[in-house]
Amino acid sequence: MQPLIEMQGVTKEYRGVPAVTKVDFVLQKGEIHALLGENGAGKSTLTKMMSGVTQPTHGEVRLKGRPVAFRTPSEALTEGVAMVFQETSLVPSMTVAQNLYLGDENLFNRIRGLNIAAQTFLQSLNFNVNPTALVSSLGAAHKQMVEIARAVRKNVEVIIFDEPTAALTPEEKRHFFALVERLKARGVSIVFISHAIEEALAIADRITILRDGELVASDATAAFNRDTIIRAMVGRSLSDGLYRRDTGQEPRPVGEKMLSVQNVSMGSIVRNTSFSIYSGQITGMFGLIGSGRTEVAKIIAGIVKRNFFNGGEIRLREEPVRYRVPRQAVQDGIVYVTEDRKVEGFFETMTIAENLHMGVLSAGLSRGNIVNMGEMRAIAAEWTKTLNIRAINNNARVIELSGGNQQKVVISKSLVQQPKIIIFDEPTRGVDVGAISEIHQFINRLADQGLAVVVISSYLPEILNLSDRILVTRAGRVVEEFSPAEATEEKIMYAAVH
Amino acid sequence: MAHGLSQERIVLMIATGLFILFSVTLNGFLSADNLLSLVQNVSILGILGVGMAIAIIGRGIDLSILSTMPVSVAWLLNLINGGMPIWAALLCALALVVVIGAINGFLIAYVEIPAIFATLAMGIVVYGFGKAYLAPIDAVYITRTDAWFYSIGSGRVLGVPTPVIVFALVAAAAYLFLRYAKLGRFIYGMGDNPLTARITGIPVRPMMLVQYIIISVIALIAGIVMATALSGINTRLALSTMVYDVILVVVLGGIGLSGGKGGIRNVVVGTLLIGILLNGMTIMNLTYTVQSILKSTILLLAIVADTLLNPRDEQTAQHGDI
Repeated sequence: MQPLIEMQGVTKEYRGVPAVTKVDFVLQKGEIHALLGENGAGKSTLTKMMSGVTQPTHGEVRLKGRPVAFRTPSEALTEGVAMVFQETSLVPSMTVAQNLYLGDENLFNRIRGLNIAAQTFLQSLNFNVNPTALVSSLGAAHKQMVEIARAVRKNVEVIIFDEPTAALTPEEKRHFFALVERLKARGVSIVFISHAIEEALAIADRITILRDGELVASDATAAFNRDTIIRAMVGRSLSDGLYRRDTGQEPRPVGEKMLSVQNVSMGSIVRNTSFSIYSGQITGMFGLIGSGRTEVAKIIAGIVKRNFFNGGEIRLREEPVRYRVPRQAVQDGIVYVTEDRKVEGFFETMTIAENLHMGVLSAGLSRGNIVNMGEMRAIAAEWTKTLNIRAINNNARVIELSGGNQQKVVISKSLVQQPKIIIFDEPTRGVDVGAISEIHQFINRLADQGLAVVVISSYLPEILNLSDRILVTRAGRVVEEFSPAEATEEKIMYAAVH
Repeated sequence: MAHGLSQERIVLMIATGLFILFSVTLNGFLSADNLLSLVQNVSILGILGVGMAIAIIGRGIDLSILSTMPVSVAWLLNLINGGMPIWAALLCALALVVVIGAINGFLIAYVEIPAIFATLAMGIVVYGFGKAYLAPIDAVYITRTDAWFYSIGSGRVLGVPTPVIVFALVAAAAYLFLRYAKLGRFIYGMGDNPLTARITGIPVRPMMLVQYIIISVIALIAGIVMATALSGINTRLALSTMVYDVILVVVLGGIGLSGGKGGIRNVVVGTLLIGILLNGMTIMNLTYTVQSILKSTILLLAIVADTLLNPRDEQTAQHGDI
């Protein structure tokens, strides 16, 4: 059969540094093709060459046997190849319906007609998004849905998804996979980049694995299992305990009560929530997107300023606190490790050392007002070793690192501030398999050292693996608490949904 | 730097090339008088450029410095001419620019007006206020030529004209400040990513206040050099296009408008190029209009080059995940 897309020996170099080297890739019609690999393996680059975002330095791309060289994504789109990006390309100030039909409007449009058409279309995809809502008011998952809907609406032959499920909750993931199956039934070919191996095994027809820009394996899904995939991805076999707490390990005992949140509310997002955080423990916080888990963390850390009329109280060691800016929280020993590191996690033009030292300086931990270069280098050396941060050289800017190493920089930047309470929001989002286990081990070590650790995650295995206590949030408040012994994925999910 | 040939180096090469070209082709370019005036102009432009660089590195901009400079210095000269002791008059002028800077910083940090609009409006306010209350006559001249004050801009130390020395001192101080002072590092942090800066615990708003006060003080220093070098100052400077020359110096030198990038070295090379170019054009007797067209074209090209060298698109956003 004539393949839909065929790439032969494609190579892509950025400033002479190869990101993808001589990769062959074949996509059949109506096939779901998973693209796996660690961060920096070249998955994104490969798909960008298919969709016209970048052009290969060497090699050939053929569409239905005909050589093509897309110069822009819109050229690829007219040929029926669409890409859905990790970073959404929606217009925040427009409504969902306007975004869906952006570029295809008639000269005159009835807003109501547009909304009705959008509503019907979204319902046909089983997407629960209000077409009249502004995109800026949507959460990450809903934005992704709109983005997917827009690609589907263009009636394309190939849709490329870059980490489509990273921002989705398990419930939404199921909808997404059902959608992918329906697209497949309509003859659309799907390429999706993923970090989640189970997803690929569950829905893909074919799996291609890249490592360091080179093709390591490409075969029908039946030829793989979890273990062979991991080995192919990282070039070694990881310990099996990645997402499984060693059985028989007792949860850590409750330490000092560090923080108590009492009846805190904020707008319609956080509603009268109460819980406590103890030192020497990992408190896992699970909730669907929009359940107020990130927002309450941001209130605690002073990142979102809460007005007095919203009521409620936060006590740090029984002392009531109300932070207007994060600086106050940092000085009291509360740090927040963001879920969106590219937006608010690190200083991209700076080196690892400069990033970490910025944390030291802001926390007022460096004596005097003059930067001590020796101190800066010493701190960088210490933390790159502790967290095994890998960079090409000491002068590499953080933006040039892989996702996992960037995340390690963000984490160390918070830890150099010597916190008492550390809140990790999605600590392993967009992080490769190897780095995930390193970060998990490190989080465990922090709790052993006596810190009060909070881990917010929408990935259940992560919560189950790490937590000594599990809090479940729903509709703006903590609704249930589990001990690791009694918690199961089903129980937690039930509490989060109902 | 990631690029083999940094913008800084390219600009320095062009500046050297222009200097050699003008020396060979233009009569009088190498004369002592002309070199002195070149050096004076370059120094004033450079000092202002240092101030603008501090604004742009912190992801801001200060369009009001070209009002702050002549108005505060005109007032200073008026006070001195009126018989006030020089040190007292200097303190008054310093207080004035600190207030102007603080208002700029307050508007930007606490009222959250974009820097470009806040300082644009403040520039007009300062000029109007100065015209009405501080220096009603456009041109103010130095009448008392007390040795030490006058020699700030027109003296020589070991044969080097003092404007150059002042520029060197300001540039060195700013270099050390930005590179080694805690506050200087915070300015880079804010310019690189204001959100990260806030979460990390940098006092972003107070820092902006300090930042714009420093810039205003630098404008005052530039004004004093200018007035003492040229025996007076004209408040109509506020209405000239000189502020664009200053931005040109900074952007051309390689300080990205997106913030967090570049340093004082970039200002120095940018100043050299623009100073030589302006001087050469004046000797060639190009009309003011032609000069403006040339300068503005170069500014546009520099901004385009800035966008190409420091792109803000999907590609860079994804750079970490190739």
